[in-house]
Amino acid sequence: MKRKSKWADVGKNCFITIIILAAASAICFLLQRLVATDTHVPLIFVLTVLFISRLTSGYLYGIAASLLAVIFVNYVFTYPYFKFDFTITGYPLTFLTMLAVALCVSALTTQIKRQEQIRLDIEKEKMRGNLLRAISHDIRTPLTGIVGSASAIIDNHQVLSDERKLELTEDIRDEGQWLIRVVENLLSVTRINGNTTELTTNPELVEEIADSAVRKFKKRFPDVKVKIHIPAEVFLVPMDAVLIEQVIVNLLENSALHGKTTSVINIGIRKQEQTVLFEIEDDGIGIKSEILPVMFEGGLHAHDEEESDSGRNMGIGLSVCMSIVKAHGGNMKAENKKAGGAKVSFYLPAGKE
Amino acid sequence: MEVRDRILVIEDDKSIRNFLHAVLEANDYDVIMAHTGTEAYSLITSRCPDLVILDLGLPDMDGMKILKNVREWSSMPIVVVSARTHEKDKVTALDMGADDYITKPFGTSELLARIRTALRHTRTGASAPGLKESGTFVSGSFVIDFDKHRVFVEGKDAGLTQNEFKIVSLLGRYAGRVLTYDYIMKEIWGPHMKNDNQILRVNMANIRRKIEKNPAQPEYIFTEAGVGYRMIEGD
Repeated sequence: MKRKSKWADVGKNCFITIIILAAASAICFLLQRLVATDTHVPLIFVLTVLFISRLTSGYLYGIAASLLAVIFVNYVFTYPYFKFDFTITGYPLTFLTMLAVALCVSALTTQIKRQEQIRLDIEKEKMRGNLLRAISHDIRTPLTGIVGSASAIIDNHQVLSDERKLELTEDIRDEGQWLIRVVENLLSVTRINGNTTELTTNPELVEEIADSAVRKFKKRFPDVKVKIHIPAEVFLVPMDAVLIEQVIVNLLENSALHGKTTSVINIGIRKQEQTVLFEIEDDGIGIKSEILPVMFEGGLHAHDEEESDSGRNMGIGLSVCMSIVKAHGGNMKAENKKAGGAKVSFYLPAGKE
Repeated sequence: MEVRDRILVIEDDKSIRNFLHAVLEANDYDVIMAHTGTEAYSLITSRCPDLVILDLGLPDMDGMKILKNVREWSSMPIVVVSARTHEKDKVTALDMGADDYITKPFGTSELLARIRTALRHTRTGASAPGLKESGTFVSGSFVIDFDKHRVFVEGKDAGLTQNEFKIVSLLGRYAGRVLTYDYIMKEIWGPHMKNDNQILRVNMANIRRKIEKNPAQPEYIFTEAGVGYRMIEGD
Protein backbone atom coordinates (compact mmCIF):
# COMPACT_ATOMS: atom_id res chain seq x y z
CA MET A 1 0.00 0.00 0.00
CA LYS A 2 2.76 2.42 1.06
CA ARG A 3 4.94 1.48 -1.89
CA LYS A 4 2.13 2.05 -4.33
CA SER A 5 1.45 5.56 -3.06
CA LYS A 6 5.18 6.32 -3.26
CA TRP A 7 5.26 5.39 -6.93
CA ALA A 8 2.11 7.37 -7.50
CA ASP A 9 3.90 10.34 -5.90
CA VAL A 10 6.89 9.98 -8.21
CA GLY A 11 4.56 9.79 -11.18
CA LYS A 12 2.68 12.87 -10.09
CA ASN A 13 5.85 14.89 -9.55
CA CYS A 14 7.32 13.87 -12.92
CA PHE A 15 4.04 14.78 -14.56
CA ILE A 16 4.02 18.25 -12.98
CA THR A 17 7.65 18.83 -13.98
CA ILE A 18 7.07 17.83 -17.59
CA ILE A 19 3.84 19.80 -17.96
CA ILE A 20 5.35 23.03 -16.60
CA LEU A 21 8.49 22.66 -18.71
CA ALA A 22 6.34 22.07 -21.78
CA ALA A 23 4.21 25.10 -20.99
CA ALA A 24 7.31 27.28 -20.59
CA SER A 25 8.71 26.08 -23.93
CA ALA A 26 5.40 26.79 -25.61
CA ILE A 27 5.38 30.33 -24.24
CA CYS A 28 8.96 30.86 -25.40
CA PHE A 29 8.15 29.61 -28.88
CA LEU A 30 5.22 32.00 -29.06
CA LEU A 31 7.24 34.95 -27.81
CA GLN A 32 10.03 34.15 -30.23
CA ARG A 33 7.66 34.93 -33.08
CA LEU A 34 6.50 38.19 -31.55
CA VAL A 35 9.70 39.61 -30.06
CA ALA A 36 13.03 39.92 -31.78
CA THR A 37 15.27 39.47 -28.73
CA ASP A 38 15.66 36.36 -26.62
CA THR A 39 16.57 37.95 -23.28
CA HIS A 40 13.23 36.87 -21.81
CA VAL A 41 13.96 33.16 -22.32
CA PRO A 42 16.24 32.57 -19.32
CA LEU A 43 13.88 34.60 -17.13
CA ILE A 44 10.90 32.51 -18.12
CA PHE A 45 12.82 29.36 -17.35
CA VAL A 46 13.91 30.69 -13.96
CA LEU A 47 10.24 31.24 -13.24
CA THR A 48 9.53 27.69 -14.47
CA VAL A 49 12.11 26.21 -12.11
CA LEU A 50 10.55 28.20 -9.27
CA PHE A 51 7.09 26.81 -10.00
CA ILE A 52 8.34 23.27 -10.29
CA SER A 53 10.25 23.47 -7.02
CA ARG A 54 7.15 24.82 -5.28
CA LEU A 55 4.72 22.26 -6.68
CA THR A 56 6.81 19.10 -6.32
CA SER A 57 8.08 17.48 -3.14
CA GLY A 58 11.79 17.27 -2.39
CA TYR A 59 14.80 18.87 -4.07
CA LEU A 60 15.21 16.39 -6.88
CA TYR A 61 12.65 17.70 -9.35
CA GLY A 62 13.71 21.36 -9.04
CA ILE A 63 17.35 20.48 -9.67
CA ALA A 64 16.48 18.21 -12.57
CA ALA A 65 14.27 20.93 -14.01
CA SER A 66 17.01 23.55 -13.77
CA LEU A 67 19.46 21.22 -15.50
CA LEU A 68 16.95 20.43 -18.22
CA ALA A 69 16.07 24.09 -18.57
CA VAL A 70 19.69 25.15 -19.01
CA ILE A 71 20.34 22.50 -21.64
CA PHE A 72 17.07 23.26 -23.34
CA VAL A 73 17.61 27.02 -23.40
CA ASN A 74 21.10 26.52 -24.77
CA TYR A 75 19.94 24.08 -27.44
CA VAL A 76 16.74 25.67 -28.62
CA PHE A 77 16.46 29.29 -27.72
CA THR A 78 19.91 30.78 -27.93
CA TYR A 79 21.95 31.36 -31.02
CA PRO A 80 23.03 29.07 -32.67
CA TYR A 81 19.49 27.60 -32.55
CA PHE A 82 19.20 23.81 -32.20
CA LYS A 83 22.87 23.49 -31.45
CA PHE A 84 24.82 23.32 -28.22
CA ASP A 85 27.20 26.15 -27.59
CA PHE A 86 28.59 26.25 -24.09
CA THR A 87 30.89 29.18 -24.81
CA ILE A 88 28.16 31.85 -24.70
CA THR A 89 29.03 34.64 -22.32
CA GLY A 90 27.25 34.48 -18.99
CA TYR A 91 26.15 30.95 -19.59
CA PRO A 92 27.50 29.47 -16.34
CA LEU A 93 25.84 32.35 -14.50
CA THR A 94 22.42 31.52 -15.97
CA PHE A 95 22.84 27.92 -14.95
CA LEU A 96 23.96 28.78 -11.43
CA THR A 97 21.07 31.22 -11.02
CA MET A 98 18.55 28.58 -11.99
CA LEU A 99 20.15 26.02 -9.71
CA ALA A 100 20.16 28.48 -6.81
CA VAL A 101 16.50 29.33 -7.39
CA ALA A 102 15.62 25.65 -7.48
CA LEU A 103 17.45 24.89 -4.26
CA CYS A 104 16.12 27.91 -2.38
CA VAL A 105 12.52 27.35 -3.37
CA SER A 106 12.69 23.64 -2.63
CA ALA A 107 14.12 24.38 0.79
CA LEU A 108 11.38 26.93 1.46
CA THR A 109 8.67 24.57 0.25
CA THR A 110 9.96 21.75 2.40
CA GLN A 111 10.01 24.07 5.39
CA ILE A 112 6.45 25.26 4.77
CA LYS A 113 5.25 21.68 4.44
CA ARG A 114 7.00 20.72 7.65
CA GLN A 115 5.37 23.59 9.48
CA GLU A 116 1.96 22.58 8.17
CA GLN A 117 2.58 19.07 9.42
CA ILE A 118 3.54 20.38 12.84
CA ARG A 119 0.38 22.49 12.95
CA LEU A 120 -1.72 19.44 12.04
CA ASP A 121 0.02 17.33 14.67
CA ILE A 122 -0.62 19.95 17.32
CA GLU A 123 -4.29 20.08 16.36
CA LYS A 124 -4.57 16.29 16.52
CA GLU A 125 -2.82 16.28 19.87
CA LYS A 126 -5.24 18.93 21.13
CA MET A 127 -8.22 16.84 19.98
CA ARG A 128 -6.82 13.77 21.65
CA GLY A 129 -6.25 15.75 24.83
CA ASN A 130 -9.82 17.04 24.83
CA LEU A 131 -11.15 13.56 24.27
CA LEU A 132 -9.01 12.15 27.07
CA ARG A 133 -10.17 14.85 29.48
CA ALA A 134 -13.79 14.23 28.58
CA ILE A 135 -13.34 10.49 28.96
CA SER A 136 -11.55 10.58 32.28
CA HIS A 137 -14.39 12.79 33.48
CA ASP A 138 -16.90 10.25 32.22
CA ILE A 139 -15.04 7.38 33.81
CA ARG A 140 -14.19 8.87 37.17
CA THR A 141 -17.76 9.51 38.29
CA PRO A 142 -19.08 5.97 37.82
CA LEU A 143 -15.89 4.52 39.27
CA THR A 144 -16.36 6.60 42.40
CA GLY A 145 -19.90 5.27 42.56
CA ILE A 146 -18.80 1.67 42.19
CA VAL A 147 -16.05 1.84 44.79
CA GLY A 148 -18.32 3.81 47.14
CA SER A 149 -21.27 1.43 46.89
CA ALA A 150 -19.07 -1.65 47.22
CA SER A 151 -17.29 -0.27 50.28
CA ALA A 152 -20.63 0.70 51.79
CA ILE A 153 -21.80 -2.90 51.52
CA ILE A 154 -18.56 -4.40 52.80
CA ASP A 155 -18.16 -2.01 55.74
CA ASN A 156 -21.80 -2.11 56.83
CA HIS A 157 -23.01 -5.53 55.75
CA GLN A 158 -24.30 -6.31 59.23
CA VAL A 159 -26.44 -3.21 59.62
CA LEU A 160 -27.69 -2.72 56.07
CA SER A 161 -31.06 -4.15 55.17
CA ASP A 162 -31.29 -6.60 52.29
CA GLU A 163 -33.19 -4.08 50.19
CA ARG A 164 -30.55 -1.45 50.78
CA LYS A 165 -27.82 -3.90 49.78
CA LEU A 166 -29.71 -4.85 46.66
CA GLU A 167 -30.14 -1.19 45.79
CA LEU A 168 -26.42 -0.57 46.17
CA THR A 169 -25.48 -3.58 44.07
CA GLU A 170 -27.92 -2.49 41.39
CA ASP A 171 -26.12 0.86 41.36
CA ILE A 172 -22.83 -0.95 40.92
CA ARG A 173 -24.24 -2.88 37.97
CA ASP A 174 -25.64 0.26 36.33
CA GLU A 175 -22.39 2.17 36.74
CA GLY A 176 -20.51 -0.80 35.31
CA GLN A 177 -22.80 -0.84 32.30
CA TRP A 178 -22.16 2.84 31.79
CA LEU A 179 -18.41 2.18 31.87
CA ILE A 180 -18.79 -0.57 29.30
CA ARG A 181 -20.47 1.93 27.02
CA VAL A 182 -17.70 4.49 27.45
CA VAL A 183 -15.07 1.86 26.74
CA GLU A 184 -16.89 0.62 23.65
CA ASN A 185 -16.83 4.15 22.31
CA LEU A 186 -13.16 4.43 23.14
CA LEU A 187 -12.44 1.25 21.23
CA SER A 188 -14.26 2.69 18.25
CA VAL A 189 -12.12 5.79 18.40
CA THR A 190 -8.91 3.78 18.37
CA ARG A 191 -10.23 1.95 15.34
CA ILE A 192 -10.70 5.09 13.30
CA ASN A 193 -8.05 7.34 14.80
CA GLY A 194 -5.16 8.20 12.57
CA ASN A 195 -5.56 7.42 8.93
CA THR A 196 -9.21 7.40 7.93
CA THR A 197 -8.51 5.56 4.71
CA GLU A 198 -7.53 2.49 6.73
CA LEU A 199 -11.13 1.70 7.59
CA THR A 200 -11.83 -1.92 6.67
CA THR A 201 -15.24 -2.05 5.05
CA ASN A 202 -17.23 -5.05 3.90
CA PRO A 203 -20.53 -5.08 2.04
CA GLU A 204 -23.15 -5.44 4.77
CA LEU A 205 -26.92 -5.77 4.82
CA VAL A 206 -28.07 -2.56 6.53
CA GLU A 207 -31.10 -4.28 8.05
CA GLU A 208 -28.88 -6.80 9.86
CA ILE A 209 -26.71 -4.06 11.32
CA ALA A 210 -29.74 -2.08 12.45
CA ASP A 211 -31.29 -5.17 14.04
CA SER A 212 -28.20 -6.15 15.98
CA ALA A 213 -27.88 -2.55 17.20
CA VAL A 214 -31.50 -2.60 18.34
CA ARG A 215 -31.03 -5.93 20.13
CA LYS A 216 -28.04 -4.50 22.01
CA PHE A 217 -30.02 -1.41 22.90
CA LYS A 218 -32.99 -3.49 24.06
CA LYS A 219 -30.84 -5.23 26.63
CA ARG A 220 -30.33 -1.93 28.39
CA PHE A 221 -33.64 -0.26 27.63
CA PRO A 222 -36.24 -3.02 27.39
CA ASP A 223 -39.16 -0.59 27.79
CA VAL A 224 -38.49 1.60 24.79
CA LYS A 225 -40.20 0.38 21.60
CA VAL A 226 -38.01 0.42 18.51
CA LYS A 227 -39.26 -0.15 15.02
CA ILE A 228 -37.08 -0.55 11.94
CA HIS A 229 -38.46 0.39 8.54
CA ILE A 230 -36.63 -0.96 5.49
CA PRO A 231 -37.43 -0.96 1.79
CA ALA A 232 -38.41 -4.18 0.01
CA GLU A 233 -35.28 -3.95 -2.09
CA VAL A 234 -32.20 -5.73 -0.69
CA PHE A 235 -29.01 -3.74 -0.67
CA LEU A 236 -25.50 -4.18 0.64
CA VAL A 237 -23.53 -1.14 1.77
CA PRO A 238 -19.77 -1.09 2.31
CA MET A 239 -19.08 -0.35 5.98
CA ASP A 240 -17.28 -1.38 9.12
CA ALA A 241 -20.18 -3.25 10.70
CA VAL A 242 -19.03 -2.90 14.29
CA LEU A 243 -18.58 0.84 13.99
CA ILE A 244 -21.90 1.56 12.30
CA GLU A 245 -23.64 -0.65 14.85
CA GLN A 246 -21.96 1.48 17.51
CA VAL A 247 -23.30 4.64 15.85
CA ILE A 248 -26.87 3.33 15.88
CA VAL A 249 -26.61 2.09 19.47
CA ASN A 250 -25.27 5.49 20.58
CA LEU A 251 -28.06 7.33 18.81
CA LEU A 252 -30.73 5.04 20.27
CA GLU A 253 -29.35 5.39 23.80
CA ASN A 254 -29.16 9.11 23.34
CA SER A 255 -32.81 9.19 22.35
CA ALA A 256 -33.78 7.14 25.38
CA LEU A 257 -31.59 8.99 27.90
CA HIS A 258 -31.88 12.58 26.76
CA GLY A 259 -35.30 12.39 25.15
CA LYS A 260 -36.54 11.74 28.74
CA THR A 261 -40.10 10.91 27.71
CA THR A 262 -39.10 8.72 24.77
CA SER A 263 -41.33 5.66 24.42
CA VAL A 264 -41.08 4.88 20.71
CA ILE A 265 -38.08 5.18 18.38
CA ASN A 266 -38.39 4.69 14.64
CA ILE A 267 -35.40 3.79 12.50
CA GLY A 268 -35.92 4.44 8.81
CA ILE A 269 -33.42 3.21 6.24
CA ARG A 270 -33.71 4.08 2.57
CA LYS A 271 -31.66 4.58 -0.54
CA GLN A 272 -31.31 8.14 -1.72
CA GLU A 273 -29.46 8.50 -4.99
CA GLN A 274 -25.89 7.29 -4.35
CA THR A 275 -26.27 7.17 -0.56
CA VAL A 276 -28.09 5.19 2.10
CA LEU A 277 -29.94 7.36 4.57
CA PHE A 278 -30.55 6.35 8.20
CA GLU A 279 -33.12 8.34 10.16
CA ILE A 280 -33.62 7.85 13.88
CA GLU A 281 -36.71 9.60 15.21
CA ASP A 282 -38.09 9.60 18.75
CA ASP A 283 -41.09 11.02 20.58
CA GLY A 284 -39.10 12.51 23.46
CA ILE A 285 -38.69 16.13 24.53
CA GLY A 286 -36.40 16.97 21.64
CA ILE A 287 -32.97 18.59 21.60
CA LYS A 288 -32.40 21.99 23.21
CA SER A 289 -31.79 24.62 20.58
CA GLU A 290 -28.53 25.80 22.15
CA ILE A 291 -27.11 22.28 21.99
CA LEU A 292 -28.11 21.56 18.40
CA PRO A 293 -25.23 23.34 16.66
CA VAL A 294 -22.48 21.92 18.92
CA MET A 295 -23.78 18.48 19.81
CA PHE A 296 -21.42 16.57 17.53
CA GLU A 297 -18.30 18.32 18.76
CA GLY A 298 -17.66 16.35 21.91
CA GLY A 299 -17.68 19.23 24.36
CA LEU A 300 -21.18 19.26 25.75
CA HIS A 301 -20.20 19.92 29.36
CA ALA A 302 -20.42 23.68 29.17
CA HIS A 303 -23.74 23.70 27.38
CA ASP A 304 -25.33 20.96 29.39
CA GLU A 305 -24.86 22.11 32.94
CA GLU A 306 -28.19 21.02 34.32
CA GLU A 307 -27.66 17.45 33.25
CA SER A 308 -24.05 17.23 34.28
CA ASP A 309 -25.14 16.64 37.85
CA SER A 310 -25.10 13.00 36.96
CA GLY A 311 -21.58 13.52 35.73
CA ARG A 312 -22.17 12.11 32.31
CA ASN A 313 -23.26 13.22 28.91
CA MET A 314 -23.34 11.73 25.49
CA GLY A 315 -21.01 14.33 24.01
CA ILE A 316 -18.31 11.76 23.49
CA GLY A 317 -20.76 9.25 22.06
CA LEU A 318 -22.01 11.77 19.54
CA SER A 319 -18.61 13.02 18.47
CA VAL A 320 -17.57 9.39 18.07
CA CYS A 321 -20.64 8.83 15.88
CA MET A 322 -19.71 11.84 13.79
CA SER A 323 -16.12 10.72 13.27
CA ILE A 324 -17.25 7.19 12.38
CA VAL A 325 -19.75 8.44 9.82
CA LYS A 326 -17.22 10.90 8.38
CA ALA A 327 -14.57 8.20 8.15
CA HIS A 328 -17.05 6.30 5.97
CA GLY A 329 -17.41 9.36 3.74
CA GLY A 330 -20.85 10.28 5.05
CA ASN A 331 -22.31 12.99 7.24
CA MET A 332 -24.73 13.44 10.09
CA LYS A 333 -27.22 16.01 11.29
CA ALA A 334 -29.79 16.53 14.02
CA GLU A 335 -33.04 18.46 14.18
CA ASN A 336 -36.25 18.74 16.15
CA LYS A 337 -39.42 17.54 14.52
CA LYS A 338 -42.35 19.93 14.24
CA ALA A 339 -44.62 17.40 15.87
CA GLY A 340 -42.19 17.03 18.79
CA GLY A 341 -39.27 14.71 19.42
CA ALA A 342 -35.82 14.63 17.90
CA LYS A 343 -34.60 13.32 14.59
CA VAL A 344 -30.98 12.43 13.93
CA SER A 345 -30.06 11.31 10.44
CA PHE A 346 -26.86 10.19 8.79
CA TYR A 347 -25.97 8.90 5.39
CA LEU A 348 -23.28 6.59 4.02
CA PRO A 349 -22.11 6.31 0.42
CA ALA A 350 -23.95 3.35 -1.11
CA GLY A 351 -20.93 2.01 -2.94
CA LYS A 352 -21.04 0.76 -6.49
CA GLU A 353 -23.59 -1.82 -7.47
CA MET B 1 -29.65 -36.81 44.74
CA GLU B 2 -29.69 -35.57 41.18
CA VAL B 3 -26.40 -35.65 39.35
CA ARG B 4 -25.31 -32.11 38.61
CA ASP B 5 -23.61 -31.09 35.40
CA ARG B 6 -19.96 -30.30 35.96
CA ILE B 7 -18.67 -27.13 34.32
CA LEU B 8 -15.01 -26.25 33.97
CA VAL B 9 -14.35 -22.52 33.78
CA ILE B 10 -10.99 -21.58 32.24
CA GLU B 11 -10.50 -17.91 32.96
CA ASP B 12 -7.50 -15.93 34.16
CA ASP B 13 -9.29 -12.92 35.62
CA LYS B 14 -10.08 -13.40 39.30
CA SER B 15 -13.23 -11.30 39.54
CA ILE B 16 -14.76 -12.88 36.47
CA ARG B 17 -13.91 -16.31 37.89
CA ASN B 18 -15.55 -15.33 41.16
CA PHE B 19 -18.75 -14.13 39.62
CA LEU B 20 -19.00 -17.09 37.25
CA HIS B 21 -18.47 -19.41 40.18
CA ALA B 22 -21.24 -17.71 42.15
CA VAL B 23 -23.70 -17.64 39.27
CA LEU B 24 -23.10 -21.19 38.10
CA GLU B 25 -23.25 -22.65 41.59
CA ALA B 26 -26.44 -20.74 42.30
CA ASN B 27 -27.88 -22.36 39.18
CA ASP B 28 -27.07 -25.84 40.41
CA TYR B 29 -23.97 -26.64 38.44
CA ASP B 30 -20.91 -28.34 39.84
CA VAL B 31 -18.16 -25.81 39.12
CA ILE B 32 -14.43 -26.34 38.79
CA MET B 33 -12.00 -23.54 38.01
CA ALA B 34 -8.74 -23.24 36.12
CA HIS B 35 -6.81 -20.05 35.60
CA THR B 36 -4.07 -21.28 33.30
CA GLY B 37 -4.03 -23.50 30.23
CA THR B 38 -1.81 -26.11 31.87
CA GLU B 39 -4.15 -26.42 34.83
CA ALA B 40 -7.07 -26.63 32.40
CA TYR B 41 -5.50 -29.57 30.55
CA SER B 42 -5.08 -31.67 33.65
CA LEU B 43 -8.60 -30.86 34.90
CA ILE B 44 -10.18 -31.72 31.56
CA THR B 45 -8.59 -35.16 31.58
CA SER B 46 -8.90 -35.91 35.30
CA ARG B 47 -12.35 -34.48 36.14
CA CYS B 48 -14.19 -35.00 32.83
CA PRO B 49 -16.40 -31.88 32.85
CA ASP B 50 -19.75 -31.93 31.02
CA LEU B 51 -19.05 -28.50 29.58
CA VAL B 52 -16.10 -26.14 29.30
CA ILE B 53 -16.21 -22.36 29.37
CA LEU B 54 -13.00 -21.22 27.76
CA ASP B 55 -11.57 -17.70 27.77
CA LEU B 56 -9.41 -17.32 24.67
CA GLY B 57 -6.97 -14.93 26.32
CA LEU B 58 -4.95 -16.97 28.83
CA PRO B 59 -1.62 -16.02 30.39
CA ASP B 60 0.35 -19.15 29.51
CA MET B 61 -1.09 -20.20 26.16
CA ASP B 62 -3.55 -19.36 23.43
CA GLY B 63 -7.01 -20.65 24.26
CA MET B 64 -7.32 -21.86 20.66
CA LYS B 65 -4.62 -24.42 21.40
CA ILE B 66 -6.72 -25.97 24.15
CA LEU B 67 -9.74 -26.01 21.87
CA LYS B 68 -7.83 -27.71 19.09
CA ASN B 69 -6.25 -30.22 21.42
CA VAL B 70 -9.51 -31.23 23.13
CA ARG B 71 -11.33 -31.54 19.80
CA GLU B 72 -8.82 -34.17 18.72
CA TRP B 73 -10.21 -36.66 21.19
CA SER B 74 -13.48 -35.34 22.61
CA SER B 75 -16.67 -33.65 21.51
CA MET B 76 -17.48 -32.24 24.94
CA PRO B 77 -19.31 -28.91 24.58
CA ILE B 78 -17.02 -25.90 24.70
CA VAL B 79 -18.34 -22.35 24.98
CA VAL B 80 -15.74 -19.76 24.08
CA VAL B 81 -15.50 -16.35 25.77
CA SER B 82 -13.94 -13.58 23.72
CA ALA B 83 -13.48 -9.83 23.91
CA ARG B 84 -15.18 -7.52 21.46
CA THR B 85 -11.96 -6.46 19.82
CA HIS B 86 -11.29 -9.92 18.47
CA GLU B 87 -14.24 -10.63 16.22
CA LYS B 88 -12.22 -12.90 13.96
CA ASP B 89 -11.38 -15.10 16.93
CA LYS B 90 -15.04 -16.04 17.31
CA VAL B 91 -15.25 -17.29 13.74
CA THR B 92 -11.97 -19.17 14.05
CA ALA B 93 -13.06 -20.73 17.32
CA LEU B 94 -16.42 -21.83 15.89
CA ASP B 95 -14.78 -23.23 12.79
CA MET B 96 -12.34 -25.11 15.01
CA GLY B 97 -15.19 -26.85 16.79
CA ALA B 98 -16.33 -24.58 19.60
CA ASP B 99 -20.04 -25.10 20.27
CA ASP B 100 -20.84 -21.48 20.92
CA TYR B 101 -19.28 -18.20 21.90
CA ILE B 102 -20.15 -15.34 24.16
CA THR B 103 -18.71 -11.85 23.99
CA LYS B 104 -17.38 -9.88 26.93
CA PRO B 105 -19.13 -8.09 28.53
CA PHE B 106 -21.94 -10.62 28.83
CA GLY B 107 -24.97 -10.88 31.08
CA THR B 108 -25.50 -13.90 33.29
CA SER B 109 -28.85 -14.82 31.72
CA GLU B 110 -27.19 -14.85 28.30
CA LEU B 111 -24.42 -17.11 29.56
CA LEU B 112 -26.82 -19.53 31.25
CA ALA B 113 -28.91 -19.77 28.08
CA ARG B 114 -25.81 -20.63 26.03
CA ILE B 115 -24.79 -23.27 28.55
CA ARG B 116 -28.24 -24.88 28.52
CA THR B 117 -28.29 -24.95 24.71
CA ALA B 118 -24.83 -26.46 24.45
CA LEU B 119 -25.62 -29.13 27.07
CA ARG B 120 -28.92 -30.03 25.42
CA HIS B 121 -27.27 -30.39 22.05
CA THR B 122 -24.79 -32.96 23.34
CA ARG B 123 -27.57 -34.79 25.17
CA THR B 124 -29.68 -35.12 22.03
CA GLY B 125 -26.63 -35.72 19.89
CA ALA B 126 -27.33 -32.77 17.63
CA SER B 127 -23.64 -32.03 17.41
CA ALA B 128 -23.29 -35.19 15.35
CA PRO B 129 -23.47 -34.17 11.71
CA GLY B 130 -26.48 -34.94 9.56
CA LEU B 131 -29.01 -35.33 12.33
CA LYS B 132 -32.70 -34.72 11.91
CA GLU B 133 -33.03 -35.05 8.17
CA SER B 134 -36.68 -35.96 8.54
CA GLY B 135 -39.70 -34.92 10.57
CA THR B 136 -40.43 -31.33 11.49
CA PHE B 137 -38.90 -28.43 13.38
CA VAL B 138 -41.41 -26.27 15.22
CA SER B 139 -40.98 -22.94 16.95
CA GLY B 140 -44.26 -21.16 17.60
CA SER B 141 -46.03 -20.71 14.30
CA PHE B 142 -42.84 -21.41 12.37
CA VAL B 143 -42.54 -24.94 10.98
CA ILE B 144 -39.86 -26.61 8.89
CA ASP B 145 -41.09 -29.80 7.21
CA PHE B 146 -37.89 -31.69 6.35
CA ASP B 147 -39.76 -34.39 4.37
CA LYS B 148 -41.84 -32.13 2.17
CA HIS B 149 -39.04 -29.58 1.80
CA ARG B 150 -41.36 -26.78 2.84
CA VAL B 151 -41.40 -24.03 5.42
CA PHE B 152 -44.70 -22.89 6.90
CA VAL B 153 -45.40 -19.65 8.73
CA GLU B 154 -48.78 -19.45 10.45
CA GLY B 155 -49.93 -22.43 8.42
CA LYS B 156 -49.04 -20.89 5.08
CA ASP B 157 -46.29 -22.12 2.75
CA ALA B 158 -43.55 -19.48 2.71
CA GLY B 159 -42.65 -20.36 -0.88
CA LEU B 160 -38.90 -20.68 -0.41
CA THR B 161 -36.66 -21.56 -3.34
CA GLN B 162 -34.48 -24.67 -3.29
CA ASN B 163 -31.40 -22.91 -1.90
CA GLU B 164 -33.43 -20.84 0.53
CA PHE B 165 -34.94 -24.02 1.95
CA LYS B 166 -31.51 -25.63 2.21
CA ILE B 167 -30.25 -22.68 4.27
CA VAL B 168 -33.29 -22.64 6.55
CA SER B 169 -33.26 -26.39 7.12
CA LEU B 170 -29.53 -26.33 7.88
CA LEU B 171 -30.08 -23.64 10.51
CA GLY B 172 -33.11 -25.57 11.78
CA ARG B 173 -31.08 -28.74 12.28
CA TYR B 174 -28.69 -26.80 14.48
CA ALA B 175 -31.33 -24.53 16.02
CA GLY B 176 -30.01 -22.42 18.88
CA ARG B 177 -26.46 -22.66 17.63
CA VAL B 178 -24.62 -20.09 15.60
CA LEU B 179 -23.41 -21.33 12.22
CA THR B 180 -20.63 -19.34 10.59
CA TYR B 181 -21.00 -17.84 7.11
CA ASP B 182 -18.19 -20.09 5.89
CA TYR B 183 -19.82 -23.22 7.24
CA ILE B 184 -23.18 -22.42 5.64
CA MET B 185 -21.53 -21.46 2.34
CA LYS B 186 -19.68 -24.78 2.20
CA GLU B 187 -22.77 -26.81 3.12
CA ILE B 188 -25.01 -25.17 0.53
CA TRP B 189 -22.76 -24.21 -2.36
CA GLY B 190 -19.93 -26.68 -1.89
CA PRO B 191 -16.26 -26.13 -1.08
CA HIS B 192 -15.34 -24.46 -4.35
CA MET B 193 -17.51 -21.37 -3.97
CA LYS B 194 -15.40 -18.24 -3.87
CA ASN B 195 -14.77 -16.90 -0.42
CA ASP B 196 -17.39 -14.18 -0.52
CA ASN B 197 -20.56 -14.51 1.49
CA GLN B 198 -22.59 -11.87 -0.35
CA ILE B 199 -24.72 -14.47 -2.07
CA LEU B 200 -25.60 -15.96 1.32
CA ARG B 201 -26.45 -12.53 2.76
CA VAL B 202 -28.73 -11.72 -0.14
CA ASN B 203 -30.42 -15.13 0.13
CA MET B 204 -30.93 -14.52 3.83
CA ALA B 205 -32.46 -11.10 3.16
CA ASN B 206 -34.91 -12.76 0.76
CA ILE B 207 -35.70 -15.57 3.20
CA ARG B 208 -36.49 -13.01 5.88
CA ARG B 209 -38.79 -11.16 3.54
CA LYS B 210 -40.72 -14.41 3.14
CA ILE B 211 -40.81 -15.76 6.68
CA GLU B 212 -40.54 -12.79 9.05
CA LYS B 213 -43.30 -10.30 9.88
CA ASN B 214 -40.76 -7.48 9.87
CA PRO B 215 -37.63 -8.66 8.04
CA ALA B 216 -35.60 -5.93 9.74
CA GLN B 217 -36.49 -7.28 13.19
CA PRO B 218 -36.46 -11.06 12.73
CA GLU B 219 -38.08 -13.45 15.19
CA TYR B 220 -36.77 -16.74 13.82
CA ILE B 221 -33.34 -16.31 12.27
CA PHE B 222 -30.93 -13.92 13.98
CA THR B 223 -27.75 -12.36 12.69
CA GLU B 224 -24.58 -12.65 14.71
CA ALA B 225 -22.78 -9.66 13.20
CA GLY B 226 -19.55 -10.62 11.49
CA VAL B 227 -19.96 -14.29 12.47
CA GLY B 228 -23.01 -15.97 11.02
CA TYR B 229 -26.66 -16.87 11.66
CA ARG B 230 -28.54 -18.52 14.49
CA MET B 231 -32.04 -19.96 14.43
CA ILE B 232 -34.32 -19.68 17.43
CA GLU B 233 -34.61 -22.80 19.62
CA GLY B 234 -37.40 -25.20 18.75
CA ASP B 235 -40.34 -25.77 21.10
